[in-house]
Amino acid sequence: MIKFFSKPYRWAGVFSLLLVGMFTFVLLDAFVIQKSMVIVASETGTETATVVEVEPVVTETSYADEHIEISIETLQEYDSTIYVADIQISDASYLKTAFANSTYGRNVKAKTSDIAAAQNAIFAINGDYYGFRDEGYVLRNGVVYRDSASENEALVIDKTGNFSIVSESEVRMTSLSENWQVLSFGPALVENGTITVDSSSEVGQAKESNPRTAIGQISAGHYLVIVSDGRTDESEGLSLLELAQEFQERGCTVAYNLDGGGSSTMVFNGEVINNPTDGRSIEEREVSDIVYFGY
Amino acid sequence: MFISGIKIKSKKIHKTIAVYLLLALVAIAVNLIYSLFGHGVHSAAMTWMFLYPLLGGALVYFLIDRSSPLITRFVVYRIAYNSYNSGIGALTVGSFLKGILEIAGTNSDYLAFFIILGWLLIAIGLAIFAFLTVKNSRRAQPQKAQSPLN
Repeated sequence: MIKFFSKPYRWAGVFSLLLVGMFTFVLLDAFVIQKSMVIVASETGTETATVVEVEPVVTETSYADEHIEISIETLQEYDSTIYVADIQISDASYLKTAFANSTYGRNVKAKTSDIAAAQNAIFAINGDYYGFRDEGYVLRNGVVYRDSASENEALVIDKTGNFSIVSESEVRMTSLSENWQVLSFGPALVENGTITVDSSSEVGQAKESNPRTAIGQISAGHYLVIVSDGRTDESEGLSLLELAQEFQERGCTVAYNLDGGGSSTMVFNGEVINNPTDGRSIEEREVSDIVYFGY
Repeated sequence: MFISGIKIKSKKIHKTIAVYLLLALVAIAVNLIYSLFGHGVHSAAMTWMFLYPLLGGALVYFLIDRSSPLITRFVVYRIAYNSYNSGIGALTVGSFLKGILEIAGTNSDYLAFFIILGWLLIAIGLAIFAFLTVKNSRRAQPQKAQSPLN
């Protein structure tokens, strides 16, 4: 064995193959290999399903029935195209989340529009892409799926639909398990009506203006969702500070940044409203989860 | 004969140094090219990965060349050489991989494999280098004593 490897380049060749193999495996494990952990039971047809008695009024930019009202506005600000959705619901249970393929797991992915369609969502945005990481709280529709803390701030939505922000390093999942939703990305943009980011703030994954997805609360049952296009000649994208200013100016007391970049997608009545892009082509990226409004 | 032997051994080390310098340049180029597609996102692990071949590779072999080039004549030097170079390779590749994952916003427990393997091989390589240096200096002393110049 030693004699074999004592010849020039033999060891180098074998070890290089080992490194390349391991390198490829880690990349596949991180980006491709699916690890399904929990399949979520469908709620369709259960007794919790809400009956809509009045025919909803639907236009290209709005939806209204007795429980849910949505209006979407498209703006041009900060050299960016911004989509602002004003949403009011009569009960917190209409603010839901869903996993790609109704499955909790790593690298389980589907387009936001496909997940939304599977849930009959009226309005949907991409979530926190929990399935791309091994850490960060995941509590969805009242069920805890992951309790390993990340360094992120988490958005907590309680069972009355009220938003709050917690630091995962300071608050354990056991004390959050009675809530309705917990999303882990961040950072928080607005807390108690005050902007909590500055011009130097950024998430680890994005250091400049980008496509963004964020959600905020104005009052009980009244929410604001902002998605911005970015990385194109037509739309530069927003900084976190600009995003936070938009929420504050519109009266949000709490606002939270979700996964952005190529993931940023807004879907309304089955149509993708924004222009999702990875900077190379206008195309919807597959994500692991969505936040949606619907029955 | 003896002087030409040193030259041959030095030439081998010089070649190793040149390869490591080239690898450091490749690491810098890879980082620059990758940053073109990163939407301005950078990773310290990828930015500084060139230090492994530069300091861990070129500088260490430069020091060996300056201090005890004759250790290359020992058969066991090949084991140390392979082990040390593999360690530097594992750390450099691991650093590159960490950079890719950081830029994408994810992580992997398997990165520890590259770090543990890298430092283990480096430790083995350095231990043998040190052993050979001591052994070489002990052999050189009697030769020095016999020298007609003394």
